[in-house]
Amino acid sequence: MNKIESTRVGFMQGLDAIAETDDRIIMVCADSLKAMRAESFFEKYPDRLVDVGIAEQNAAATAAGLAIGGLIPYFATYAGFITMRACEQVRTFIAYPGLNVKLVGINGGIAAGEREGVTHQFFEDIGILRTIPNMTILVPADAGQARQAAIAAASISGPVYIRLGSGRDPVIFDHDTPFVLGKINILHQNGNDIALFGNGIMLLRLMEASALLAQRGIGVTLVEVHTVKPLDTEGVAAVLKNCGAAVVAEDHNIIGGLGSAIMEAAAEHVPVPIARIGLRDVFPSSGTPDALLDYYGMSVNDIVEAALNVIARK
Amino acid sequence: MTERIQQLISIATQLRRDVVNTVYAAKDGHPGACMSAADIVAALYFDTMHIHPDDKDWMGRDRFILSKGHACPILYAALARRGYFPPAELKTLRSLGSRLQGHPVMGKTPGVDATSGSLGHGLSQGCGLALTARRRGDNSLTFVLTGDGEIEEGIVWEAAMTIPKFKLSNLIAIVDNNEMQSGGHVNEVGGLYPLREKWEAFGWYVVEIDGHDMAQIVTTLENAAVRGRTPIDESANMTVTSLQPTPQPGQPVVIIAHTVKGKGVPYMEGDNSWHKRVPTDEEYQIAMSILGGKDLE
Repeated sequence: MNKIESTRVGFMQGLDAIAETDDRIIMVCADSLKAMRAESFFEKYPDRLVDVGIAEQNAAATAAGLAIGGLIPYFATYAGFITMRACEQVRTFIAYPGLNVKLVGINGGIAAGEREGVTHQFFEDIGILRTIPNMTILVPADAGQARQAAIAAASISGPVYIRLGSGRDPVIFDHDTPFVLGKINILHQNGNDIALFGNGIMLLRLMEASALLAQRGIGVTLVEVHTVKPLDTEGVAAVLKNCGAAVVAEDHNIIGGLGSAIMEAAAEHVPVPIARIGLRDVFPSSGTPDALLDYYGMSVNDIVEAALNVIARK
Repeated sequence: MTERIQQLISIATQLRRDVVNTVYAAKDGHPGACMSAADIVAALYFDTMHIHPDDKDWMGRDRFILSKGHACPILYAALARRGYFPPAELKTLRSLGSRLQGHPVMGKTPGVDATSGSLGHGLSQGCGLALTARRRGDNSLTFVLTGDGEIEEGIVWEAAMTIPKFKLSNLIAIVDNNEMQSGGHVNEVGGLYPLREKWEAFGWYVVEIDGHDMAQIVTTLENAAVRGRTPIDESANMTVTSLQPTPQPGQPVVIIAHTVKGKGVPYMEGDNSWHKRVPTDEEYQIAMSILGGKDLE
């Protein structure tokens, strides 16, 4: 079992670190202070929080105003309330003028929404935001990466979306693992029979699948893609060229997310067989995180089977 | 009538002429909504607001958000006549490559302080801007001009609820209450009225004026501005009742300006087809002869 650490807490640690050195950093909430585990941040920086109440559209447009006034707002609440309820505000008033607003969506994916059910499971966020120009999209894998993503986002002058989990998130990486914006992260290269791409919580399952494939004598190149947009097309293409087949796994609808992004890049640059692991365009249900991922086609065995199938199509 | 008011009236007339010229040249646009706002916009840009067109990015400047972004020809005219760009450029409205987009975009047009056009978003953006001014500790103001049909949008009332909470008396809202929206009368289409009571219930201090009486506009804006520039004690409790004779410290003011859509061009006044319509050659000539003033070159 992996250790559990909250991506929300990790993110807040990162925000705390940059707030110390940059007084333009300010947090915008829509009564999401507790959900963001931001109480201690608020105690430390009482004048660095704008809470507009349960009004996400207002929060997004207020964040735009704060950015026009020279601050760097981080608007943080549930992923779907940012990317769906406040989608137009994000698109027209933040992304279009290229304002320096960071959007932080929690409960990204069905595992992160877990027992809450569909209203709080957000598996469309990446697909929606990928179609909006000027947007950078980051999917940190665990608490340590969430901390680094919070800091890295401030280095980009423009809108950034950071996808976080449930608050009970497995630790995947050592805390000092580098987080390089805009680049794929090759976790291991045990061979070039197949490439496994993924991000977020699915990396754990990809690691297990990679070990099972190795037992069968199949060499795997395992790649983390935490920056979904802009996609490191060159890096992805090089891996695809080397391996000739791939599986992409993500806790997101198979439409519009990382799988789509990599297939688009592949179709244009290195057309090889690729399988997608993700929610297969259905509405999920309440449940425990692992049971949900297993039930909805994102089990380790699903990844192994998909890998064998695409290798056969090479 | 003072000389200053006379001057502002003639500036407003010039801006109206510029709007007709702009829409006639572009063969597109919303003249009716520009005309109802013309006097208010003239007063703001040529009297009330602290701005330096030669230092347009000055952080401590007053800001104006035209929340009813479809009326941008009147904003563009004011910016051009105030020196942000040459008036001749107004004719490029809505054409490919122009800095004058169909709706205002910050960063694209010199002097435009916020993106607008998708209705309802000025107050929220203004809330963020007013918070930054308060945080900087300067006395700059944020003016937000909304349409009346526009405030049927729910987000307006989300912002209307939070702005008094933050005690942002440095934000001054103005409703261009011309009573008409695209589909007809605001009360028939959207059930807008009673309007004053809605704002009061949300904690605003309401002032109602004739939005075409320049002296009244200037005095009302001046009073609100003096108040807005005065630092407030943010820790003081704010008690809001609808019957209080003066605004409480920190209480934001909304000016409901009673206006006429199409005001200044008789054939446009009261004819809602001018919500979005381009004058014919003959109508253009009539407007030019009524409005007088300078052309765009």
